[in-house]
Amino acid sequence: MALLELSGLTKRFGAFTALDDISLLIERGEVHCLLGENGAGKSTLCNLVFGVHRPDAGTMTLGGEPFDPRGPAEALQRGVVMVHQHFNLVPNMSVAENLMLGRASAVLKPQDIIVRMEQLAAEYGLEIDPEARIDELSVGERQRVEIIKCLLGDPQLLVLDEPTAVLQPDEIDALLAICRQVALRGKSVILVTHKLGEISRVADRTTVLRQGRIIETVAMEGADIRSLVRSMVGRDVQSAGSVLAAAVDIEGKTPPKSSVDAAGPVSPGDPVLQISDLVYRDPHGVPRLDGLSLTVGTGEIVGIAGVEGNGQTELGLILAGLAAPSAGAIVVGGAQVGGCTPQEITDAGVGIVPEDRHAVACIKELSVAENLFLGAIGKFSRVGLLDKSARRKAAEAMMRDFDVRASSPDVSMASLSGGNQQKAVLARELSLDPLVFLLAAQPTRGLDVGAIEAVYNRIRAARDDGLGVLLISSELEELMAVSDRIAVIYRGKLVGELAAGSFSREAIGAMMSGHAHV
Amino acid sequence: MVMKNPKLARVAKGARLELVPLQVLVPVISTIIALGIGLLIIAATGASVLEAIEAFWDGMAGSDFNIGASINRAISLALVGLGFIFASRANLTNVGGEGQIAMGGMFATAAALHGAGGLPLGLAFIVPLAVGTIAGAVWGGLAGFLKAVRGTNEVISTLLLSFIALPLVYWSVESFHLLRKPISDVSSLPESAEIPDTTKLPLLFPDNGSPLHIGLLIAAIAVVVVWLVLKHSTLGLRLRAVGLNATASRRAGMRTSLYVILAMTVSGGLGGLGGAIMILGQQFYLTSDFSSGYGFDGLVVGLLSRGSAVGVVIGALLFGFLRSGSINMEISAHVPSAVVLICQGLIVIVIAGSAILTNRKVTR
Repeated sequence: MALLELSGLTKRFGAFTALDDISLLIERGEVHCLLGENGAGKSTLCNLVFGVHRPDAGTMTLGGEPFDPRGPAEALQRGVVMVHQHFNLVPNMSVAENLMLGRASAVLKPQDIIVRMEQLAAEYGLEIDPEARIDELSVGERQRVEIIKCLLGDPQLLVLDEPTAVLQPDEIDALLAICRQVALRGKSVILVTHKLGEISRVADRTTVLRQGRIIETVAMEGADIRSLVRSMVGRDVQSAGSVLAAAVDIEGKTPPKSSVDAAGPVSPGDPVLQISDLVYRDPHGVPRLDGLSLTVGTGEIVGIAGVEGNGQTELGLILAGLAAPSAGAIVVGGAQVGGCTPQEITDAGVGIVPEDRHAVACIKELSVAENLFLGAIGKFSRVGLLDKSARRKAAEAMMRDFDVRASSPDVSMASLSGGNQQKAVLARELSLDPLVFLLAAQPTRGLDVGAIEAVYNRIRAARDDGLGVLLISSELEELMAVSDRIAVIYRGKLVGELAAGSFSREAIGAMMSGHAHV
Repeated sequence: MVMKNPKLARVAKGARLELVPLQVLVPVISTIIALGIGLLIIAATGASVLEAIEAFWDGMAGSDFNIGASINRAISLALVGLGFIFASRANLTNVGGEGQIAMGGMFATAAALHGAGGLPLGLAFIVPLAVGTIAGAVWGGLAGFLKAVRGTNEVISTLLLSFIALPLVYWSVESFHLLRKPISDVSSLPESAEIPDTTKLPLLFPDNGSPLHIGLLIAAIAVVVVWLVLKHSTLGLRLRAVGLNATASRRAGMRTSLYVILAMTVSGGLGGLGGAIMILGQQFYLTSDFSSGYGFDGLVVGLLSRGSAVGVVIGALLFGFLRSGSINMEISAHVPSAVVLICQGLIVIVIAGSAILTNRKVTR
C-alpha cells in the first residue's frame, strides 16, 4: 500500500490555478522526484502535503488514513516533515539548542538530543558537532542540521524543496546519498528539483509537473532523460547542447567549452575592467570582500564561481554603485568608478544585470516601457511632460529587438514572466550608450529553459561585439557553458582561475570549498 | 470552507470589471448611510430632525453667502489634500497638514502686517501668499530632509512638527513683540491685528455679497498643475519610481533623497498656501486656533481621493459644505455640531472600509 495518496488535488490562488487535479501515489521506501520549471506547482504541492496551504478540492490519505492537515503542526504529528528552501534556525544558538527548540517536552534534556544525534550519525552519516553555533556552519552544514531536525522524530515522509540550489557539488553528492539512506529505511522522500542530473542519480520515480498538471510519472530505470526534458518544457529545446545541459544539469553532457563552437575562439583585448585589492566590510564590520583583484578584457566573458555568500553579492552591489568599497580600486575604461554613484557608473559605460531582479533591476508596478527607460525618463519629454507615444514607439522597437513578449509596452512589469522581465532588463542595459562592460549577476535565476537560451545568446553576442562581461553565477554548468575564463571566489577572495578548455567540475568544486589552488 | 475562496474571487473579479462606477458609487452610498445614521443620532438628541435638516441645508447652500463660505472652506481643504496626494505619490505620508497650515497662516499674517500692505499691483496679497507657501514648504521639507538623511519616519516627524507649529502660533499671538495686537480695552483677545485691506484676497463676485475669493482660482490652478505633474510629467514618474522602489530608482540614476525632500517640500508648501489663504481670504487676523482641524480634514480628503486630483476636489467640496452646514445646524437648530463630526467620521470609516472591497487584489 502506498504511504501517501493524493487524489484530485486542486489549489487556486485567486484566478490562478497553481495545481489542477493532481493524483499521485508515493510508495514506502522510494525517493520520488518532482520535476518542473519555475511556477509548475512543485512548491505548492509540497506546501499542501505539509499543511502550509489547504487544497480547494481533492483528498489525501497517509498510511491509509484520511490526511487533511490544517497546519504544519498537524503534518508533523502525522510524521510528515519538510526542509524548506530557507532555513529556520537560530543563528546564535548551538546545533543542540536548535534541535531542542520546538520539542514538545517542557524539560530540556540535552543529553537525549546528543544520544539521538549519535544514532542518526551512525545510521545516515549525518555527522555534526552538537556544540557548534549555527552561524559558524556552512550552508551545507546548516541544511544538515535541518535534516537532522526532521529525522529526530522518526518521520514517515521527508519533503525537500529544492534542497540543492544552495549547495556546492560535493555537498550535493552527500545530500543525495542521505536521501537514499532515508529511503532504504522504509521512509519516503519527496525531492523537488529542476536538475535532471540529480534525478538520474537518486530518484526511483519522477513526476513531471507543468503548469499545475502532472504530465507523466516515470520509473527512472531505463528512462530517457531527453523525453523528461520534453515533458518538463513542453517542447523540444532547439539548441539541445550546452544550454539544455546547463539548465537542467545533465551529468557529463556539458561540452568543455561551448562558446568555442558557438562563436569561434576569442582573444581578449585590452582590459576594460580592472579591480585591484577590493575590500568591503558590511555595516557590522564583517569583511565580505578581502583584497579581490580581477581583470576583464574586451571581448571576453569571465565567470565568477563560488558558493553563495562568499562575496559575490557584495561585488555585484559595488559594481552597480549601490555599495561603496572600503578600500581598493575599480577602473572601467580608464575611469575610476569605485564608490561612484550609479549614474556615474552608467556614464562610464557599465551595464548591470543585478542579482535581485525585483529589488534592483526593475519596478514591477511600473509598465514595461517605463522600466525600459527607467534610467532615461527625461529622454521622452517636452517641457517636463512625458511624451508617452514616442516612448511607446521606442519601447516597442526595443521589445521587438530583444524578443520581450508582452501584449503591450503599457502592461505592468509584474504581469510578465520572469524570462521576459529579464529580457527587458537586458534590453535596457545593452542599449546603454556608451557601453564597454556588462555585469550579469545570476542572470538566469528562476528562468525557464527558453529564456535561459535567450540570455546566453545575448551575453555571447555582447562579448562578440567587444564588450567585457563578468558573469557571476552559482550554477557551475552555466559558467562552464558560457565563460571564456572562470575565477573562483572563496571568502571574499579569488582563489584560483581556470582557462577555457580546462574547466572541470571537480577542480572548481574543490576551490569553491576552500581547498588550495588546483 | 472550500466554497469560500471561489466566491471571494468572483466578487473581486466583478469589482475589477466595474471599477469606475464602483469608485463613484461607494463614496456616494457611504455618505448617504453616514448621513442617515447622523439623522438617527439627531433624533436621539431630542431635536427636531426636520428643523435640523433645514438648518443644515441652509448653512451649506441656503444663500450666495453660504455657498461662497462653503467653497472658501473647500479651497484650503483641497490644497492640503493636494499636498497629501503629492507626497503619497512618492510613497510618503504627510500627516502634518495642520502644522503646515499653521506656519503658512502665521507667516502670511506677519508679511501682511509688516510691509506687504503698501505693495502695488496685487503684490500686496501675492507676497503674503508666497511667504505662507514658503513657510509651509520649509515645514514639510524639514520632514523630507529628516527622512532622506536620517531615515526618520515622515508620519512621526510631520505629526511632531505640527505639535511644534501650533504652539508657535499661540506664542506669536500671545507676544506683543511678535504678532499680538496692542491692548485697547480689557476684552482684547490674544490675536493679531486685522491685516490691511490691500492684502485681503480680492472677491470674485463683490456685488452679490458672496465671500468667494480668488483663492478658488489659485486652488483650481493647483489642481491642474498637481494633476499634470503626477499623471503626465517626468517628475511625477520619478516620484512614483522612488516611492515604489528606492533601490531600483537609485540604480537607474535617480537621486532618491532629492525627490523625497522635494515631495515633502511641495506637499508642505501646498498646506502653507492653504493656511495663508484662510487668513488672507476670510479670517483676516491670526488667532491661536485659526486652523481648527483643517489640516486633519484635508488629510482625510487626501486619503479618500486615492491619489486622484479630481477626487481631492470632490472630497474637499463635500467636507467644506458639511462643515458649513454643521456650523449653521448648531447655531439655528441647537444640534451639537459634534453630530456632523460623527457623520464625517462615519463617512471616512465606510469609505475606507469599502476600499477593501473595491481594491481587493487577487493574491497569488
